[in-house]
Amino acid sequence: MNVRACGAVIALAAVVMTGCGRGKQSQEVATGIVPAGSTETAAPAAVTDYPRPAKPSRQYRIGIAIPHLANPHYVGQAYGYIDEAQQLGAQVTLLEAGGYEHLDKQVSQVEDLIASKVDAIILAAISGPGTVGVVEQAAAAGIPVINVNVMTDSDKVVTRIRSDDDVIGRMQADVMGYQLQNGGNVVMLRGAPGTSWAEIRGNAFRKQLAAKYPNVKILGEQYSQSTPADGLRLMEDFLQTFPQINGVYNGADSTAVGAAQAVKSAGKAGSIVMTATDFQLDTEKFIREGVITASILQQPVTMGRWGVRAAINHLEKKPVPPVMFTGLMTATKENLDRLDLTTLRAPSGWTPPVR
Amino acid sequence: MPAVILGLAVIFGTINPNFWSVTNMANVSRQMSILALLAIGQTFAILSGGIDLSVGSLLALVSVVCAQTMKTFGLVEGITAGLLAGTVAGLISGLIIARARVPAFIATLGMLVAARGAALTLSGGLPIAGLPREFLVLGAGYIGPFPIPTVIAATAFVLAHVILSRTRFGRYVYAMGSNEEAAVLSGINVANYKMLVYITSGLFAGLAGVILTARVISGQPTLGEVQELYSIAAVVIGGGRISGGVGGIGTTLMGVLVLGILGNGLNLVQVSSYIQNIVIGAIIVGAVWIDLARERRR
Repeated sequence: MNVRACGAVIALAAVVMTGCGRGKQSQEVATGIVPAGSTETAAPAAVTDYPRPAKPSRQYRIGIAIPHLANPHYVGQAYGYIDEAQQLGAQVTLLEAGGYEHLDKQVSQVEDLIASKVDAIILAAISGPGTVGVVEQAAAAGIPVINVNVMTDSDKVVTRIRSDDDVIGRMQADVMGYQLQNGGNVVMLRGAPGTSWAEIRGNAFRKQLAAKYPNVKILGEQYSQSTPADGLRLMEDFLQTFPQINGVYNGADSTAVGAAQAVKSAGKAGSIVMTATDFQLDTEKFIREGVITASILQQPVTMGRWGVRAAINHLEKKPVPPVMFTGLMTATKENLDRLDLTTLRAPSGWTPPVR
Repeated sequence: MPAVILGLAVIFGTINPNFWSVTNMANVSRQMSILALLAIGQTFAILSGGIDLSVGSLLALVSVVCAQTMKTFGLVEGITAGLLAGTVAGLISGLIIARARVPAFIATLGMLVAARGAALTLSGGLPIAGLPREFLVLGAGYIGPFPIPTVIAATAFVLAHVILSRTRFGRYVYAMGSNEEAAVLSGINVANYKMLVYITSGLFAGLAGVILTARVISGQPTLGEVQELYSIAAVVIGGGRISGGVGGIGTTLMGVLVLGILGNGLNLVQVSSYIQNIVIGAIIVGAVWIDLARERRR
């Protein structure tokens, strides 16, 4: 299979900071790795910039529940929440459930937030269906809920702030399809079962491959908890099961760094196309080494900031758009050092004040 | 132990007055009900000289079976299937323990792993959504001022107390746990009653699983991680002896209250969830230590 050496091909890879002021999403991916204009989004009138409101006169109390902090993605998001709340004079209680397997804990945490009568709740849901009940309890108690990053299957939320996961899936498919122009076999590490991101990204990846790159076949897919250990284990097993793997899709880079380790250990670094989402330090390292081909970068810090802004706007009785998409970038070996990471990562040395 | 619980409540209430609010009391008791039901089942197992390590992942298996059946056949069928799934799993553990004479620790450890696997297999690892909205009532509804899960757990406490203190089965559970050999020699059909112990534990896990499924209004194969350990902790914190024969529903209730109030209270007074784990760990060991020290002095 013809896996192109990335270095040669990439002219200028996608430094498309769409977060601010652009009418369109992150589609201006003028890179050798993704044909430009290949992933037009059909996103319905999404907000692409969401400026900070004026500082409110009162100090609001905002409760925030996120799945875990073991992934730097959520550390960046936590920084966004905390820093933005400081700017807007809000008091924050940040709760983490300890992983995507602790739905019951997240439900209890949100109930505790309702009981302690916070002004608003920001929720990155562990499970879309699983958090419906508690979101409706909050709504019934008159506490607005803002979904950030991972969505609840309920129309009772004030707004949904996330990356356009559909675009992330398609962008990964475009990298894969372009790299495997003569066809190839792909496996998918989809990520945490039951989360909106794992579902939407993976489905979009499949759909885009089938539509545009029919000679790229999907051999298998696995869901797992979103950890490097799971990625490593699943990828090792995939390599045993299918000797003819040419590409690996990763719904999140937490599995990708584990999978990259497996690919590297098998001596297949660079000969298997690996795509991922997000940009933790290990992902950066593996891209630099040429093990991971490209990663689609979300802006977790921006998500956190917008979440707090939306909460304040809603509490100040200002209208809040029902859906907001934060921007995306593509990171490759070529553009690594030119990326602006302030919307992605907490400043180094910053640690979240978890409750 | 009641003094400790009252002390905790007073401290939390002083720091955050919301702790004593009606909403929060309803909230704590609802959160505790799952642990309470598991701990009641665990009380039977531990009192009889055994242990049931499987209850955590039984929650997941019950949740998946309940949700799948409910989607296909309906509300009542789903609840029944969930309860049945817990009971049958308990029966299997019981058979392995009582008939094949595999130690309870090993048999239920096997069930812990296998039930999780079964839950993941049946569901394909995915949550099962689209359950009827009325089902949410079981998890979030109220009877008067009391949350329905709380009422169910309270009823279960009373029922289990009656069984343990007033029935032959209850007396035999204590007898087996105090001295199994003596129980055999005095003509008790130990094998049968052991099976009944694990069926009971499975049934309570089934009830807990159904309520938890209603609370999250979906079937979830990843529910219940490490809950078996908390259920054991609840039994021993209150004063139940880990080797069996000593304890009861009253002491288990104390243990459940301590764990439940700690979890909720520490959240409300904003103690880091990492530190919470350290506190709970220390309390598990400390409570048993104090208990043993008191026993030795006697």
